[in-house]
Amino acid sequence: MADQATFEDDVREYLPQLYSAALRMTRNPADAEDVLQEALLKAFRGYHTFRAGTNLKAWLYRIVTNTYINRYRKQNRRPDEVELGELEDLYLFKRLGDADGGASRSAELEALDEFVDEDVKAAVEALPENFRLPVLLADVEGFAYKEIAEIMDIPIGTVMSRLHRGRKALQRALWRIAEERGITGASSE
Amino acid sequence: MSYDCAEVASQIYLYLDQEELTWWQRMRIRWHLKECPPCADGFAFEEKLIAKVGSDCVDDMPQELEERLLTFIREHADDETVG
Repeated sequence: MADQATFEDDVREYLPQLYSAALRMTRNPADAEDVLQEALLKAFRGYHTFRAGTNLKAWLYRIVTNTYINRYRKQNRRPDEVELGELEDLYLFKRLGDADGGASRSAELEALDEFVDEDVKAAVEALPENFRLPVLLADVEGFAYKEIAEIMDIPIGTVMSRLHRGRKALQRALWRIAEERGITGASSE
Repeated sequence: MSYDCAEVASQIYLYLDQEELTWWQRMRIRWHLKECPPCADGFAFEEKLIAKVGSDCVDDMPQELEERLLTFIREHADDETVG
């Protein structure tokens, strides 16, 4: 059982990460602050139910994720129904390789460096919610499939398919950005 | 027996995430990657991209915001009503 008196000290170290996550979920600072404020108050009030010694980070992410989803679902009735269409393996790798004309072996790896963090954030934020959350939780927050299943309250098989498809869709979004910007020979002409 | 390129590509995320696959399945992927430089490059690419997503999606939290949030909790700490 956790003590409310230590709540502030216990959660402070997670606040910056939670803020980044809330930003990627809501896509704007004002909404991110609202989500975080509501979630932290819920966490504080429910802190006596948190078992000390278990995973505090996962517990906090669960509350932030649920807070976001509840707010979001009030606005959009069926956010789960979004589909992504056909997505191939190694989508971006293949395209960057073709754009380079196969000139050198590590060209694709180097081409990745040309995407700045704003590109990557935009690509993540372009994902539909049901794919964006698993990508965020796995690749930004480093949670394992089982933890994501618990945070999002969905089966592990669903986590797997959404995460894998979400990553491929993210690559498609990055490729679009590369075309727009003319990165490494990619061109929309 | 090693996998072919398509089989390996379809398991790339399970392999990189260190999830679900048996020791034997992981070995078969590793054998394939050893013999197949294009697949090995593809795996290295995916690994780098995942790491890049992780490092590029971090924002600095404004110091005032942290204080604002903690103050909000303190102010509401004594509310007995459960939200």
